[in-house]
Amino acid sequence: MKAAIELEHLSRRYGRQFIFSDVNLVVSPNKIIVLKGNNGAGKTTFLKVLSTRLRPTSGNAKIFGFDLKKEAFEIRKLTAYLSVFGGNYQNLSAFENLKFALRLSKVDFTDDKLLARLEHVGLIDVKDKMVREFSSGMKKRLSIAKLLSVDAKLWLLDEPFAALDSAGKKLVDNLIIRAKEEQRTVIIASHDLQRSSQFADTILTIEDASLKLEKNLNHG
Amino acid sequence: MDDIKDALTIFKKDILQEWRSKAVTVATVFFASIVLMVLAFALGSNDTVLKIAAAGVLWVALAFAGIISAAQSYQNELEENALEQLLLYPIARSSIFLGKLMANWLYMALLGFLLVPVTSILFKAPLANNWWIILLVILLGTLGFSIISSFYAALTANLRARESLLPVLMFPIVIPILQAAVKASQELMGDNNPAFIWAWIQRLVGFDLVYFVVTLVVFHFIMEE
Repeated sequence: MKAAIELEHLSRRYGRQFIFSDVNLVVSPNKIIVLKGNNGAGKTTFLKVLSTRLRPTSGNAKIFGFDLKKEAFEIRKLTAYLSVFGGNYQNLSAFENLKFALRLSKVDFTDDKLLARLEHVGLIDVKDKMVREFSSGMKKRLSIAKLLSVDAKLWLLDEPFAALDSAGKKLVDNLIIRAKEEQRTVIIASHDLQRSSQFADTILTIEDASLKLEKNLNHG
Repeated sequence: MDDIKDALTIFKKDILQEWRSKAVTVATVFFASIVLMVLAFALGSNDTVLKIAAAGVLWVALAFAGIISAAQSYQNELEENALEQLLLYPIARSSIFLGKLMANWLYMALLGFLLVPVTSILFKAPLANNWWIILLVILLGTLGFSIISSFYAALTANLRARESLLPVLMFPIVIPILQAAVKASQELMGDNNPAFIWAWIQRLVGFDLVYFVVTLVVFHFIMEE
C-alpha cells in the first residue's frame, strides 16, 4: 500500500534558524498522528510544509505518492488544513464562506447539503450572520464545517480543540473518530494531549528542530 | 475554463465584501474628490491653465485611489489568515490574480467614469463628442494600472511595510501606462488631434498586453511561498 506521507531528510528553516531538520518519517494511510511540542517548536510550520503552503528548505517528501515540491497542486486536492485562524472572511456570512470554500475546493454541493453541514456544527441558526459577529469558537466551527465538506484523504489539524467549548470539543472528537472510520490520515498538532492522544496511533514530538517518536499506541 | 470560473468566484467574493464594507469606495471617492478640489483651487481661475492641467489631475487622483484599492484588496485576505487558506485550494495561482485584477479594475474604472465629468466641469475641459473615447482611455489606463497594482499588492501583502512599499515598487513600472493615459486624455481635453489620440491609445493597448502576460506568468512563482 502506498504510504500517506513519506519524508526523507526533510528540513525547513527561516533565515538561519532550522525549525526542523533531517526529518525522516513514513505514515501509513488511515493513521492518526498527534504532534506535540512547546510553543514555537515548529508544529504549525511542519503542518504548513505538509499542506504545501511552505516549501521545505531541503529533503524529499511525498504525500500519497505525489512529490511535495513538484506536484503541490495534486496534493492540495487530497489535503485539508484546519488552521488556527480559520481563514474565514469577515464580511461574508457563514453560508457564503462555506459556499466559497467548496466552490474553490471543486466539491459538488447543493444548498441543502451546505445547510446540513452548518446544522452539524451547530451554526444553522446563524447561517446568514456575518462572520465578523462570530466568536472564535463559532469561527472554528465554521472551519470544521469546511473540513467536513471536503473529501480530503489527509487532514492536517492545527490546534483543533482551541477556542471551543465542551460541546465543540466533543464535535471534534467525533470528527476524528469518523475520519478514522472513513480511512483518512490525520495529523493533529495540539497542546491538549490528554484529549488528542486518545485517538492517536502515534505521538510525535517536535523539539530542538527534530522530530522524535514519543509513543506508538496503535489504536484500532 | 476552470481557472476563469475560479477567478470569477474570487471576483464575486471581493465585490460582495466591498458592497458590504464600502471600505474601498469611501476611501477612494473621498481621496480623489479632495485631490480634484485642492488642485482646482490651487490653479486659480485661468481657463487655459486649468484645461492644460485637467488630464494630469484626473490621473493623479485615479493613480493614488488605485493604490488604496489594490492595498485594500489583499487586506481582506490577511484578516483571519484567509490568504493562506486561499493558497491551499486546488486552484491555479493565476485565478487568484485574475479575480483580484478584475475587482481592482472595476473599482478604478467606475471611479474614472465618475471623475471624468467632474474634472471636465471643474477644470473647464469640455469633452464634446469625445466622451466615449475618454471612457475607452479610462478603461485601458485603469486596466494597465490594475494589472501592476494587483501584482505588487500580492507581492507585498505579507510584508510589514506593505503600505509604503507598494507605491515605491509599482510606480516606476506603471509610468509608461500613466504617460500614455495622460497624453491621450490631454489630447481629448485639448487639441483633439485624432492621430495623436489613437497613437497613445495603441500604446496603452500594447503596454496592457505586455504587462498582463508577464504578470500572469510570474504571479505563480511569487505566490508559491
